[in-house]
Amino acid sequence: MRIVKLKQKNLNPFLEVISENTELWAPVRKYTDRHVFAQVEDVSQIDVDYTRTILPPRKIFLPPSFNMFTATEKEYKENFSHATKKILFGIHPCDIHGLLIMDQFFNYVFEDPYYTQARNNTLLLGHSCWPDEHCFCKSTRTHIIEEGYDLFFHRLSEDYLVWIGSSKGDDLIRLMPDCFEEKLSDEDIQFYIRLREQRNEAFQTEVNFTAMPDLMELKYNHPLWEKIGTACLACGSCTNVCPTCNCYNVMDHPQLKERGSLIHRDWDTCTLQSYSEVAGGENFREKRSDRLKLWYTHKIQAYISKYGKPGCVGCGRCIATCPVDINVKTVSQALDGKDVDAFWNRLNKGEIK
Amino acid sequence: MKKISVDHLARVEGNGGISATIDGNAVTDVKFTIYEGPRLVERLTVGRTPEEDVSIAPRICAICTLSHKYAAIRAMENALSVKVSPKVYLLRELMHMGEMIESHSLHLYFLALPDYLGFPNVVSMASKYDFEAKIGLEMKNFANHVMKTISARYIHGENPVIGGFGKYPSKEELVWIKSRAIQFMPFVMKTVQLFCEIDYPDCPEDETVFACCNPPENKFGFHGEEILLSTGDTIDKDNYTNLTNEFVVPHSYAKHSLYQGKPFSVGALARVNNLGERLEGESQKMYQKYFSERWKKNPLFNNAAQALEILHCFERIPKLVDEILEHSQNPPIQTYQVKEGKGTGLVEAPRGLLVHHYEISEGRVSHTDIITPTAQNAEDIERYCYIAAQKLLDNGEEDKIRDRMDLVVRAYDPCISCSAHLAEVKKAPQENWKEQLDQIKQKGTPIFVGVGKKDHNDDGSGIELALHLKKRGVEDVWLESEIEEDKFGRQENGSRPLLFLDAVDFRENPGKITILPLHYVLSNASLSHRFLPFLSSGLNYQQLKNSFVLGIQPQSLDEGHKLSPSVRKAMGQVIEQITH
Amino acid sequence: MNKDKVKIGIYELTGCAGDALLILDCENELLDIFKAADIQSFSMAKSDNIDGNLDVVLVEGSVSTEREVEELKDIRKRSQLVVAIGLCATVGGIQARFTNPKEWEKNFKKVYGDVKMEHTPPLQSKPIDDYVKVDYYLPGCPIGKEQFLHLFTRIVKGAPPEKYPRPVCVTCKFKENDCLLNRDILCLGPLTADGCGAACISHNLPCVGCWGPVEGANLTSEYYLLKEKGFDVEYIKKKMANYSGTKIAEFFEKIKEEKK
Repeated sequence: MRIVKLKQKNLNPFLEVISENTELWAPVRKYTDRHVFAQVEDVSQIDVDYTRTILPPRKIFLPPSFNMFTATEKEYKENFSHATKKILFGIHPCDIHGLLIMDQFFNYVFEDPYYTQARNNTLLLGHSCWPDEHCFCKSTRTHIIEEGYDLFFHRLSEDYLVWIGSSKGDDLIRLMPDCFEEKLSDEDIQFYIRLREQRNEAFQTEVNFTAMPDLMELKYNHPLWEKIGTACLACGSCTNVCPTCNCYNVMDHPQLKERGSLIHRDWDTCTLQSYSEVAGGENFREKRSDRLKLWYTHKIQAYISKYGKPGCVGCGRCIATCPVDINVKTVSQALDGKDVDAFWNRLNKGEIK
Repeated sequence: MKKISVDHLARVEGNGGISATIDGNAVTDVKFTIYEGPRLVERLTVGRTPEEDVSIAPRICAICTLSHKYAAIRAMENALSVKVSPKVYLLRELMHMGEMIESHSLHLYFLALPDYLGFPNVVSMASKYDFEAKIGLEMKNFANHVMKTISARYIHGENPVIGGFGKYPSKEELVWIKSRAIQFMPFVMKTVQLFCEIDYPDCPEDETVFACCNPPENKFGFHGEEILLSTGDTIDKDNYTNLTNEFVVPHSYAKHSLYQGKPFSVGALARVNNLGERLEGESQKMYQKYFSERWKKNPLFNNAAQALEILHCFERIPKLVDEILEHSQNPPIQTYQVKEGKGTGLVEAPRGLLVHHYEISEGRVSHTDIITPTAQNAEDIERYCYIAAQKLLDNGEEDKIRDRMDLVVRAYDPCISCSAHLAEVKKAPQENWKEQLDQIKQKGTPIFVGVGKKDHNDDGSGIELALHLKKRGVEDVWLESEIEEDKFGRQENGSRPLLFLDAVDFRENPGKITILPLHYVLSNASLSHRFLPFLSSGLNYQQLKNSFVLGIQPQSLDEGHKLSPSVRKAMGQVIEQITH
Repeated sequence: MNKDKVKIGIYELTGCAGDALLILDCENELLDIFKAADIQSFSMAKSDNIDGNLDVVLVEGSVSTEREVEELKDIRKRSQLVVAIGLCATVGGIQARFTNPKEWEKNFKKVYGDVKMEHTPPLQSKPIDDYVKVDYYLPGCPIGKEQFLHLFTRIVKGAPPEKYPRPVCVTCKFKENDCLLNRDILCLGPLTADGCGAACISHNLPCVGCWGPVEGANLTSEYYLLKEKGFDVEYIKKKMANYSGTKIAEFFEKIKEEKK
């Protein structure tokens, strides 16, 4: 690992140079106050002053809906059109952690070529961030990043400290060697350390993750789940915005003109009624509460025993997204025995007049 | 009285039919029936917010959905005093042109052309006329793309709202539309040539009144603040009922003498007839080249008029896109505070004048009135079908009636004109007049009027019949000579049917009895002899629709005072049936 | 025609004919549609229609007259499979909003007066499964191109059509729209079946619900959520009812009971 310095004004020229022959993806503004990762043609579109994008970066590696392969009488043709060479700039530590979890998942027993190929073709250029009221990545210990990036940009007042995390990252630096200073001043280092401390202080949301696996087990049949289930809109938004959700559905799209099908792969979501329906119409989780339990088991219990860390990276997307306040924060607080201020709780108490 | 409101609620595309009943040498009944069930759309919108109305009301019709949306928005913006910026106005014009091209190209290439080329549908037509089918499909596809770009969907797009648009199309999208429109021009010219050079049959032909929106600034276009009639008169949008209520409420003489006995037509042909001089560029050249007096009389030319309008749209779109792009700012949706008001919106749907009228009270819709083009055309559709059927019958071409009525109905493009595929020719049963007489009696106790000349042998049968009825004590029997002008018009208001008794020559065996609607006799040169003009001109349209002629086929109309035996026998049957 | 091809009929009852029109709007696929199946009856597109025995019928529109009841029953008898296409056929459409027969009668009289319909007596609009067994449902006002082609292709290839049990929110999130409920806008996305591609929300406008209620929709929660946001109760109910046809009535009954 090596750390170099870059003037902030040199960032855009650097991005232009490195993306000359590669797609550049980065956060851009949507509406007036939201952000999404998008392919950028013009680096001035990039907005690094963002907290979280609506969808997590996994959409770049496995698009929400895409054709995996075409099978006709004549041919079998795989489609890797999403796995182009890319540079993803501006990704935050929590989202890099999300991808690291996805990496494990899609290579756990069998390799998923659609994910891995896209992943291998993408360089990750991280960017530092500042927590808002929904961020709780400190609780999941995903607020800092030690691996998984090619470059990481820590913003100081006028400069960036740039962590070089891989040889591929180093190759990028070499495209504009004059812009990067090898020597860091004491001031820079002190500034960075102070900023890190201030950032740690800035978190407003805390979740007691160490207790969660046990609580999840102990309260699996607690009436709390029924309450949450009563309010769940089953809209699937929590899973779609989650950086570690990986369920998908595969559907044949037969072709009108010839014998054969396109095989489509769509993100699936476990909060939908149809998710646990099997052939013959049997449904294992007909109740919303049962489906929510499945999700929360994955997020705050099962992954810990399997991958050594929770399936939640504290990005706060579920908090920002769920209209009825069902999210890792309120659910874990409720499991912890707290009376939380959430729509689902007010609904059950009959407080809505 | 209420029938018109039935029609303007039920849509027509889809489930409709036209039927003609033939009794010997006379067409005794033509009915344009709409089987579509009642949807009560006007009532559905009552109690809704203006925004909800603008979403629900266009669901009346899929193919005119944007015209409905546009008319509803115009009416609401008038009611709520909302002023939109020029960019919004221009974009609405562009989206409306998308619908115009889509609907016209669907009608011309999918529905009308297979008829003229002798195929049951466009797909089988494509096997031989691949090029034409391709133009139709591509043109429709382009128009759908325009609509989707601006309204958000092919059908029932929600993007146009009161006060503007939810989202504006990008510059790239608009430029694409412009360049594609320019590329299309050779195919558009081909379309005009194709449909203007079809040898349209000369039957039916008859004068009618044409009505359409009067577009602002003396331009050709598809919206306006007033209605323009081919008579030269104009009607302000807020007084639209002066035109459309003609059927429902009897008016003063001045008003209905204008349309009396003359239902009006709306649609592409009405627009080109009324506004053709205002076309510009190639459209004007083509108008000069193809337009003739026949366009004013023959509904089949609606196909040609639609082709000219497609050309107008394709010529207008590139300019329109340039005008839109002059406004780089996307104005936000204009909000409003008004909670009370009423307003009318006029636009031209592809198939004619469309009116939406709303009253808003406490921020909710309290009254809705929607007048659709097909409801307005229904009367003329029946009339032209009658004219065609009777003329073909006169020429001994009864076998052509069904197809010709198909052609007439489809020319009017009553939304999707599949209704015409249900054309039916019925043979009247023996002694059909007895059943007809019973039906007339069910509408009210008839008033009888004996008509004719006693010094022309059998022509005296009507007078003679009336005298016999009087003698038998039947009430309200008049002789032609006893009637002062305007008598019925003033006294009866059309609530009771009028039955004229007369000798009518339809070249049958002497003594044959037939009952015909009066307006059939009036609009048919071979049937109407010297029927007293003041009798009919004194009637308003509603009364006219409720008047009938009981005709007996004469043997001789020469001078003399004798009634032939067969006519005398028929008179006996009539008296028996009436007094029975 | 062709023995091997699936015999299909496309019929329209009362509605805007948007679903049949949408089929004609598949310009690029239209010739293939006609090639892939033996379309025996489709009155909007062709005139040589045959009303014989069929493998599959697609029925658009609500049942709104006595004549349509007879027609529908006849169609059912003649066909192996019946697919309801479009909002009117699946839930009754906008015209099925008057769920109470008395309310419907009152409004009918307001429009038509006491005029007797000559050809066929009118009926309160109902979805087609009120009268016959329906095998598959393809919702939408009107149906979407993609879902239609998917269903149609599966049918002509002899595969059963798939259900569409997702709410609009799923596609809406795929398109990275911000949730309008979180901006206190009355959006019916969570209650509405997917298929439009989240068209309205992608145009910054709330979902009006025109695909009809989605399987598993949590009406109670959204109802109270909107209530908490300060929306008028009657307004919420009307909004929910606009495109839900007769299928919404039970829900409102439930809410009434809960109140007691």
